[in-house]
Amino acid sequence: MNFFKRAWLNLTAKKGRSVLLVLVTSAIMLFVLAGLLIRNAADTATTNAKNSVGATVTLSANREAAFKKMRSSTSTSKSSKPKLTTSPVKLSDATKIAKLSNVASYNATVSTSANATGFSAISTSSSTDTGMKGMGGSTSSGSGDIAITGVTTTSSVSTFESSSSKITKGRGITASDEGTNNVVIESELAKEDSLSVGDTIKLKGTTGDKKTYTMKIVGVYKASSSASTQQGPGSTDVSNSVYTSYTFANTVKGSKYKNTADSVTFEISDPAKVSAVKTSGNKLISTSKYSLTTDDSSYQTVKSSMDNVKSFADKIVWLVAIAGTIILALIVILMIRERRYEIGVLLSLGESRWKIVAQFFMEMVMVLIVSVVLAGFGGKFVGNKLGDQLVSQQTTTATTSTTSTSQGQPGGTGGGGAPSGNTGGSKPSGNMPSGRGQGQIGSTSTNATAKTDLDINVTVMDLVELGGFGLAIMFLSIMLASGGILRLQPKKVLID
Amino acid sequence: MLKVNDLGYWYDRQENSLFEHVNLEFKSGNSYAIVGQSGSGKTTFLSLLAGLDKPRAGQIEMNGEPINKIGLTNYRKSKVAIVFQSYNLLTYMSPLDNLMTAMAITKSEHRGDKEFAIKMLRQLGLTDDQMKKNVQRLSGGQQQRVAIARTMVCDAKLVVADEPTGNLDEENTKYVIEQFQKIAHEQKKCVIIVTHEPDVAAACDHSYRLEKHQFVEET
Ligand SMILES: Nc1ncnc2c1ncn2[C@@H]1O[C@H](COP(=O)(O)OP(=O)(O)O)[C@@H](O)[C@H]1O
Ligand SMILES: [Mg+2]
Repeated sequence: MNFFKRAWLNLTAKKGRSVLLVLVTSAIMLFVLAGLLIRNAADTATTNAKNSVGATVTLSANREAAFKKMRSSTSTSKSSKPKLTTSPVKLSDATKIAKLSNVASYNATVSTSANATGFSAISTSSSTDTGMKGMGGSTSSGSGDIAITGVTTTSSVSTFESSSSKITKGRGITASDEGTNNVVIESELAKEDSLSVGDTIKLKGTTGDKKTYTMKIVGVYKASSSASTQQGPGSTDVSNSVYTSYTFANTVKGSKYKNTADSVTFEISDPAKVSAVKTSGNKLISTSKYSLTTDDSSYQTVKSSMDNVKSFADKIVWLVAIAGTIILALIVILMIRERRYEIGVLLSLGESRWKIVAQFFMEMVMVLIVSVVLAGFGGKFVGNKLGDQLVSQQTTTATTSTTSTSQGQPGGTGGGGAPSGNTGGSKPSGNMPSGRGQGQIGSTSTNATAKTDLDINVTVMDLVELGGFGLAIMFLSIMLASGGILRLQPKKVLID
Repeated sequence: MLKVNDLGYWYDRQENSLFEHVNLEFKSGNSYAIVGQSGSGKTTFLSLLAGLDKPRAGQIEMNGEPINKIGLTNYRKSKVAIVFQSYNLLTYMSPLDNLMTAMAITKSEHRGDKEFAIKMLRQLGLTDDQMKKNVQRLSGGQQQRVAIARTMVCDAKLVVADEPTGNLDEENTKYVIEQFQKIAHEQKKCVIIVTHEPDVAAACDHSYRLEKHQFVEET
């Protein structure tokens, strides 16, 4: 270990040069560390996104197959009017799928409408007279001025999940509301008609037996302001959307809709398992009648933005590492030139060449240790600045790219409004006129979750990883420069 | 102990060889001077004896074994100690550390023995203060004493020196010559000194002149 002592003596004797080496190495290490930190933070953020950002699989009527059937019947019998026949989803199918692994919970959605009786719906310029097609099945339902969204729980409706809709008074619809006439109304409607939690309203069905139902208000919610801007032609105002238990919506639609739903949305606990759930779910249902569509766009948004950050961080690490190796190799080459005399003395004493190389390596390792500690102090700062910059850039681009594609998702309420036939919600829905106002509410997606902050922290593991990188850089530079040592003729010392 | 057999050397772009068919023998307990005109090839010859270069022709034997068989690095490590005109100390160390380092590299029987190194430095007239400060802050004469002390703490039985007094004043020259004679006569080592100074040559037991590509003993 004599070369170890020589390395130490050399560094302490030539303080100025050692300080300079430490500064250069610290700068290189700082950038490598910043890259490593961002990469690790992006990893953590992706893992967190997996746990916090929801992904769903939706069971609904297979409209694509239904359209195909309709078209084929059109071509064979040109005389008869084509008819789109879709079947409502059976809840017994839903419970089977709910038992699959990775399915956390499910939410049935039934859309229908009714007329306000004894209170007034909010009227809009586009009014309510457009003939709208019912979504729930073969019978076209007449349109009421109040849009009813029957759900299992409001809390798992995507607009509530993303907080674009919020319960402001009372409570939302829960599983315990099954079989009741409890209702949650929008705050504007409540204000207009001076309604509050505990009051009752009357709704008259537009289809089936056209009965009048007495509803008990259990909660008031506030719809997002942006939802109203997404109104399609012929829809009612968002404020006329009410939430009830799916059982009530089925009752309004008629007795044959008992134990069915327009669609059932399953919350998947691990977004990465979405397609696996879809595959096993398809085995449980009749795929000619029903289809399963997946939506993990929020997760994908976060994942792709974090993947971008990660690959950028990787590039930083490699670029800096390569540049650092070149810079350090040049420094070491110059240093070795300047130290030929010393190398000659050592060679004349009979020191082996590899031990001289080892001495230079040791010197650089000592410099490295100091530099890693210094970089550790500065790394958090640089990493934070760089990470913030990257995340804001990446999420902006990622969000813009997903808003255009995420509309295809059934979104919990949009039953028929969204083209559930396409897979994965990846095809843009275009501006297909939606049957119901609430279909649009449902499809305001969950882009808010895409903004993910990087949590930049310097851990001991980071420093160890940095040290490993530094060692590799030092080793490479010394190897590149050591040609000079290995070639040097010991006789040169004597002759010069 | 050191035998030179039919030795020859020339540089690549030289018309004539510096020396050829050289046969010499150097014995332990003796001091030898090698003199000759500047540029005649004395340093080149010494570099071959020191194992710093390979001969073009012939071979060198150390106690009957060819030095290329011992391996030049190995030979330099354990068989020969070299003193240079420009001292060739490790400039970032104190005299004491220079000795300790040389003892460690050459695996001297005294390696790690600080007291022994201090004793040697004292013998060569260095104060305790001088032996602990950086060698570059010593005078040329003091640095050459450190270089000589370095040969004394190592086990090598052959000591070669190239113009060891070239940078020294008269007083230091005299002192250094005395030390080399002591190394030869008291430590029973073989000392070979290249010099152009008649005083130095005269102090040695034998003297060879390199002239017309041959070594001729002077009497
Ligand atoms: N590396 C070399 N390449 C070519 N010629 C050299 C080299 N080293 C020395 N010489 C030449 O060889 C001759 C002998 O040099 P040297 O052994 O140093 O002589 P001395 O020590 O007797 O002055 C000189 O003419 C010198 O110029
Ligand atoms: Mg010379």
